[in-house]
Amino acid sequence: MSKQYLTLHTIDNAHPTDIFALAPTKTALLSASGSSTIRIYATNAPDFPLTQKLEGAHKLGVHHLVTSKDGQRAASAGFEGKVKIWGVEGNQEKTESGTGGIWKAVGEISDSNKPGEIWAVALSADGAYLASTTYDGRINVWDLSAEGMPRIREYETKGSFGMCVDLSADGRFTASGHENGSVYVFNNDTGRMLHSLAGLVKPVRAVAFSPASKLLAAAGDARIIALYDVASGEQVANLSGHAGWVFSLGWSDTGEYLLSGSHDAKAKIWSIDTRTCVATHSHGDKPLWAVKWLPKTTRSEMFAVAGGTGAISFYREAAG
Amino acid sequence: MLFGASLLEDSSQESLTDEAYFFEDLLETPATSSTLTSPQLLESPIAGKSLENALRLNEDALMLDAGQPQFTGADELLDAVQGPQPIVRDRDWVIARIESIFEGIVDALLEKKTKLSITLSCRSGTAGRTFDSANGIVTTATGLQTREITFPGSTAQEAWRFTVLVRILEIIHDALIADVIVTKRDIYYRHPDLFVKQAVVDRYVDDLACTFGVSRTFLNVSAAAKGLVAGNFTIQRADGSQINGLKDREGLLVPNLHSSDTIDMSNVQWILLVEKEATFRSLVHSDFWILLSSQGVILTAKGYPDLSTRIFLSYLTSRSSHIPTYAIVDYDPDGLAILSTYKHGSYALAHENSRATSGSAGGRQLNLPRLQWVGVRSHHLQPPASADNVCAERDTRQTQGLMKLTRRDRCKARRMLEREAFVEDGVEAEWRSELQIMLMLNIKAEMQIFEERQGGLGFWLMEALEPSAKPPREGLDDERVRQA
Repeated sequence: MSKQYLTLHTIDNAHPTDIFALAPTKTALLSASGSSTIRIYATNAPDFPLTQKLEGAHKLGVHHLVTSKDGQRAASAGFEGKVKIWGVEGNQEKTESGTGGIWKAVGEISDSNKPGEIWAVALSADGAYLASTTYDGRINVWDLSAEGMPRIREYETKGSFGMCVDLSADGRFTASGHENGSVYVFNNDTGRMLHSLAGLVKPVRAVAFSPASKLLAAAGDARIIALYDVASGEQVANLSGHAGWVFSLGWSDTGEYLLSGSHDAKAKIWSIDTRTCVATHSHGDKPLWAVKWLPKTTRSEMFAVAGGTGAISFYREAAG
Repeated sequence: MLFGASLLEDSSQESLTDEAYFFEDLLETPATSSTLTSPQLLESPIAGKSLENALRLNEDALMLDAGQPQFTGADELLDAVQGPQPIVRDRDWVIARIESIFEGIVDALLEKKTKLSITLSCRSGTAGRTFDSANGIVTTATGLQTREITFPGSTAQEAWRFTVLVRILEIIHDALIADVIVTKRDIYYRHPDLFVKQAVVDRYVDDLACTFGVSRTFLNVSAAAKGLVAGNFTIQRADGSQINGLKDREGLLVPNLHSSDTIDMSNVQWILLVEKEATFRSLVHSDFWILLSSQGVILTAKGYPDLSTRIFLSYLTSRSSHIPTYAIVDYDPDGLAILSTYKHGSYALAHENSRATSGSAGGRQLNLPRLQWVGVRSHHLQPPASADNVCAERDTRQTQGLMKLTRRDRCKARRMLEREAFVEDGVEAEWRSELQIMLMLNIKAEMQIFEERQGGLGFWLMEALEPSAKPPREGLDDERVRQA
């Protein structure tokens, strides 16, 4: 069984250098790269126009960028070691003019943040909490709604570089992936580690909870995508087929499909039901650092991919 | 011993370029410091001898120049000397500067001043250094900080520093008068007990060169050769002797060149810089070298390039501007820093480059503006897999040359992203991108990863150098066979 996806549009030269992160909202796609500027493209207009530039967001370039599920908040992490919080003003739902609101800086993480300490970041669905990993394997959580955005929690692991992090949509879990292949799941209500998941023995570069928070996908240099049951911690599947390191994972709106991007420029779509790859797209010959489904606003679901070419490509599910 | 010397050289160079340079960190308190007090030092044979020599050296000068003002500031002195004529900082100029320092000391003694002092320019940090982006070179600017070395100082160590500095100045002065070259190693072994360790001498010699605003070579001081070179070049000396770059299969120590030397590179089509000695040696013993030695030159400085190697390279490239120069370094922050030192110069020795702006006749820029980086790059880390059944095997072997970044690596990479050559919209946007990718991957790689490929590093290099590498002419084949 295979599935057809059409190339809708490619923004060539979306960034002057490698794009490391994509972060969608209902009406826009925020993108970040080695450039100091975050660029925002409208996704509700046919030609995906550039609608805003956050100039000089991070002097040394941006390595991680995330948006909350509600689309009201974003967080960016730069190579200089800072994390900035962005909020959107104006009508998010306006579709005719193509504007999706204006993004502005609303704060910065400064409590308990030593230079170079923060690497990967994740936002809760409501944008109230930020989780991040550190070089020595800790996961810190900040309360973005409180005065001064204080750190409220610290999870400790065994000291291996925390390369990726995700928060479940229901707010109950935090997951992290580490350099030594470890994957951890924490219970946010109790503040304790829920699972230490084995299976990947090489750097884990992406973890992602399914929309219903029942499954966790993890992948990296082992070149397979491991699927775990969040409740029991059992590994329920291995998705094989990538020839390169896997850098990015994204779940479709219903959790039916998983999108993955790899070092050898391939994006793959996997059916969770059949545990098979149903589509593969090649995006040039440079790494795909970021692949994301866009929130479903039309009948056909769309995803975006970006990486070393500096371009962003949009794909749409073929009607059928 | 060479290994030890090499470590010292590398350590000193790297320390200066890596992080804030703290004097006390490098210069441990000498073992004898507890027994040194001001009166004792003044009476000690070494100190006494130094001052006595200073007196002797300057006796005539003193008679002629009585009343010469004391030398208290580097800038002040340089300004005072400035006249309507532009300064030519040649050997005689440097001799005069050293003698004026000694005269200052003698004057202070005669006037019974409570302190003797010598002012040095500071090479730590980045103050007074700038990145000349038009020329792609790190050079000195106005505003270099200075510091006073005084006797008697507030501590015994300060008095020791003064003694060390006077003795080094004396040795340099003797070398200049006799017009002989001394190595830093030579200087150290004159008084190892006084100098304590090689790095002390290395540091002061370069501080003096910076203070005087001249190349170290103008002090008649060289570092012991550490670079190795091999290739199809011939150097003809004025005395009739000849250096053939292909004579020794192992490669030659980088020769010291004189202005009277001539070099023949008429058959050379490329120059290749190799970061590591081990790689250099494996290359000159490989089939790659048998095939291509007649048309290339390969060279290693064994890590961060020393001044002698950079001078030699500058000489080669200035006489053959049409010949491309390539570099292969490890994929890690140090590899890119080494690449940057070759191409743009280093902060610690920025004064060596600033002579370019002074326009002195003997001056020569040490940077290599046309240097091209052929590898190791991020896209070499994981070659495209051909078939799934060999993926696992290839992947296992591939990862042997890959390592994760250390915390130091990550800190160094982040600092480099802030430096002039690497800044956004700077002259090395591509290098900047590679540093960022390195941080994203958290991976570094040695050039040995190419040995895992079919044909090894030599074969890969032949492909990488292909635009420049052409099949040798038939006549050369015969010649090579005869030599073999």
